[in-house]
Amino acid sequence: MSDEQRSRIEMAIVRAMQKDRVSRRTFLGRAGKGGIAIGAALTLPGLIAACTPGGSAALEWANWPAYIDIDEESDPNPTPYPTLNAFIEQTGINVNYSEVINDNEEFFGTIFPDLEAGNSTGWDIVTPTDWMVEKLIRLGYIQELDHSKLPNLAANAADFAVDQWFDPGNAYSVYWQGGITGIGYNPTITGREITSFDDLFDPAFKDLGVGLFSDTRDMLSLSLLSLGIVPANATMDDVTRAQEKLLAAAEDGQFRGFYGNEYYDELSAGNLALTVAWSGDVTQMKLYDNADVEFVVPAEGGMRWNDNLVIPNGSTNVDAVHQLMNYWYDPVPATTLAEYIGYFSPVAVVPERIQADADAARADGDDAGADELEVFAATVAPTEDQIANTYPYKQLTEDEEAQWNDLWLQVMS
Amino acid sequence: MSRGRGLIPYLFLLPGGAWLILFFAIPMAFMLLVSLQEGSLSTGYELTWNFGIYPEVIAESSDQIIRSVTYAFATTVLTLFIGYPMAYTIAFRGGRLKNALLLIVILPFFVSFIIRTLNWKMILADNGILLGTLKDWGMLEAGFHLIATPAGVIGGLTYNFLPFMVLPLYVALEKIDPRLIEAGMDLFASRFQAFWRVTFPLSLPGVVAGSLLTFIPAVGDFINAELIGAANRDVTMIGNIIQFKYLNANDFPAASALGFVLLVGVMVLIAIYTRVVGSERLTS
Amino acid sequence: MTAAAPPLGTAPIRSAPIGQRLSGLVLPVITALVVVFLFAPLVVMVIFSFNDPAGRQNITWQGFTLDNYLTLWGRPDITGPMLTSLTIAAISTLVATIFGTLIALALTRYDFRGRSATNLLIFLPMTAPEIILGASLLTLWVSMGVGRGFITILVAHIMFNVSFVVVTVRARLIGFNRSLEEAGMDLYADAWTTFWKVTFPLIFPGILAAALLAFSLSIDDYVITVFNAGRTVTFPLWVFGVSRLGIPPEVNVLGTLILLLAVAFIAVQLWQARRQAAAAQTVTIRGR
Repeated sequence: MSDEQRSRIEMAIVRAMQKDRVSRRTFLGRAGKGGIAIGAALTLPGLIAACTPGGSAALEWANWPAYIDIDEESDPNPTPYPTLNAFIEQTGINVNYSEVINDNEEFFGTIFPDLEAGNSTGWDIVTPTDWMVEKLIRLGYIQELDHSKLPNLAANAADFAVDQWFDPGNAYSVYWQGGITGIGYNPTITGREITSFDDLFDPAFKDLGVGLFSDTRDMLSLSLLSLGIVPANATMDDVTRAQEKLLAAAEDGQFRGFYGNEYYDELSAGNLALTVAWSGDVTQMKLYDNADVEFVVPAEGGMRWNDNLVIPNGSTNVDAVHQLMNYWYDPVPATTLAEYIGYFSPVAVVPERIQADADAARADGDDAGADELEVFAATVAPTEDQIANTYPYKQLTEDEEAQWNDLWLQVMS
Repeated sequence: MSRGRGLIPYLFLLPGGAWLILFFAIPMAFMLLVSLQEGSLSTGYELTWNFGIYPEVIAESSDQIIRSVTYAFATTVLTLFIGYPMAYTIAFRGGRLKNALLLIVILPFFVSFIIRTLNWKMILADNGILLGTLKDWGMLEAGFHLIATPAGVIGGLTYNFLPFMVLPLYVALEKIDPRLIEAGMDLFASRFQAFWRVTFPLSLPGVVAGSLLTFIPAVGDFINAELIGAANRDVTMIGNIIQFKYLNANDFPAASALGFVLLVGVMVLIAIYTRVVGSERLTS
Repeated sequence: MTAAAPPLGTAPIRSAPIGQRLSGLVLPVITALVVVFLFAPLVVMVIFSFNDPAGRQNITWQGFTLDNYLTLWGRPDITGPMLTSLTIAAISTLVATIFGTLIALALTRYDFRGRSATNLLIFLPMTAPEIILGASLLTLWVSMGVGRGFITILVAHIMFNVSFVVVTVRARLIGFNRSLEEAGMDLYADAWTTFWKVTFPLIFPGILAAALLAFSLSIDDYVITVFNAGRTVTFPLWVFGVSRLGIPPEVNVLGTLILLLAVAFIAVQLWQARRQAAAAQTVTIRGR
């Protein structure tokens, strides 16, 4: 991308934010106050468009909540999302952004009948997590990408964000944001430092509240790691052993519960002393809700995950989708995004740019804002250590998936 | 009861009945077929008339089935005990405020379920306002928690199904002629007896309706066990299993089969219940 | 407690023996406690609508602010789903109440072939787990090529509301004294007018209760709606989505506003009750 294009985008973003420089604190403050917003256009035209199948020429994008920067104070013009507005302004492509994904499987359940029947799902671009991408590729439900239309990807993507286990060569997907699954804990409650997955099995913590995820892959993989087995190489026997370890403890009542996102509240409120957790969440928690909590990658290893942009079958706006995907790999919107979301950004230069913003804020006298930005500069890309000590999930055939699910269901029930 | 008044009953049934047949019966018939299929996402599903799936899922999830029925039963009893006085007060002491008071009962439920439940979790947090204070006063031991316990889940179910009991009860109580109750007071020695011999039997249709409206949906509930119960293994209900099988395992046949097991099981229980309470009077 | 205790807001105060007065308090006290129980989480909700959290979570008190109330109106992404939910709830309640009342009337007054089948048809939707209901409807839509959105959500809500209406109205119709209707027929000589002048007012409490139930079911539905919503976002869908990371204060604001609306409604009723009581007393004084 040329300098001219870059500065046009920058100007567009700045205009969209209606301020010359938005300090991190006020930006987050505004974002935090409103929390997250679902951007489905629910004006009357939007309702009508929703009623009639085969809607408008806009791109329909399904994403998770809290996954894009938002400006609550100004009127949506045309959307409340500054980076998205910049894209729309620059390319003239309209984007309808809907935060309708709450759970990979639940979302899959809603688009599956259409995909199976060969219909359009109504979505042009969706944001599933890595293992769901694998499943979609396996079932043939998503379209291949045309890399000639994604120059920013080749130029700007960080090494850890490309060519992954579930999609070699990024044939079908590009990295959106990602993180690490490890352990979040409150040292004032546990009384000691937590370093290992096995700490979750410590009977001393039973009454204090130990949490696990409800996700099959996360839990079985972490258990495998604690047995010294790399998940990608695990055999069915290995998995059974990993499951037995969990089952024994579960039957003993060791675990308070199996959580989805609700673990955040529980850890923050002190209902859980330690729990499986996501890195970005704990960073947020530490900054805003409970300064005591800590995040640790288990010594035996944690899991690396990420969400991705993919194109489901039946999407016809494929060119426009590629332009959108390409846009997110431009450092300018990528930095803004990372400063809002706080998870791993796939663009290599983002940490430096955030640090630059931090320095600028400090020069402006905004120390609090600068501090926050520096925290994020450190956490929006995995460190060498983390890359070395975190592992990707195992690719599962359908049979294996069924077996894994069965084994895990036994633990949960 | 009018007999054979020609077409009128069928005319009354037509709009609602047609709607239910189109949008409930037909889709459910399809799900019944799905339950008899075998296969998977990638290989596709094939109708093999696999009736064996039913004993299979029953055996696998018998714990959860029993637990769900137990929880639903406890919820029904609790809502009856809590809701009856409330319905009684509104019906007989409400006066012109009746409608307003009914609205008060229903009001918490206009605010989304999630908000109510998450706020309850905040109140019931291990070291929060309620439990934390009690623990500080030494009335509770430190490890005590309500979240992720059967008590917590049943509490959540009771809370969320209270209007389902109160409204039908109110409906039945409100139409009781107060003079009947006065007559009962004259007849019987104590107020309680008057209540038990006169008022309560007259309100029975409301008790039955309320029990059904509470028990039936409560059995299939999954959200309380998931949010308040944190999907702890001791509290998972059949709804959670069906949810998991459908969404996570994509095992549509098993999920459908379990759904129908639930359906048939509850219908059987209803049949027994209405027989016990004397159905003719209540449904005719 | 006396069954003939005067309704609130009317008759003059009578002296009663202490025992009777105390036991007359039992019911209202229990009711009050239940109301407290019902509203406890809402109190928390109202308080936290004034919270000023630095982060995304709204779980620890961090400071008082009125901002949330002010910024709410500039957030169509929040008010939109609420409006959608209210509209769907209103329409589905109206339709389901009509359908359900008709069915209840048919079931309690006529003996016709297919009564037991109808009974079954009524009970089954309540029994079926929501995910099965929702997913089966979705399959129907896909096979018919119907896009999911506002209309499909509406259809689904009407579907599951009908049963609840039938059961509630039926509780009212059972034991209904037909002689009143017969008297009405003598007076009005026409079934239609009789219905509106005699039957309907008498069964109205049942219909109202059923409508309230249906409304709250519709406005709070999540699972069935998820499968039938397409890109439309209803309030529960939105709340479920954002609450993954903690309820933002705006949600509490909306809830509080709904509460205020209803409280206002109740206040109006109270005021009306006072006025009617005063008017009634005036009439009594004048003698009839």
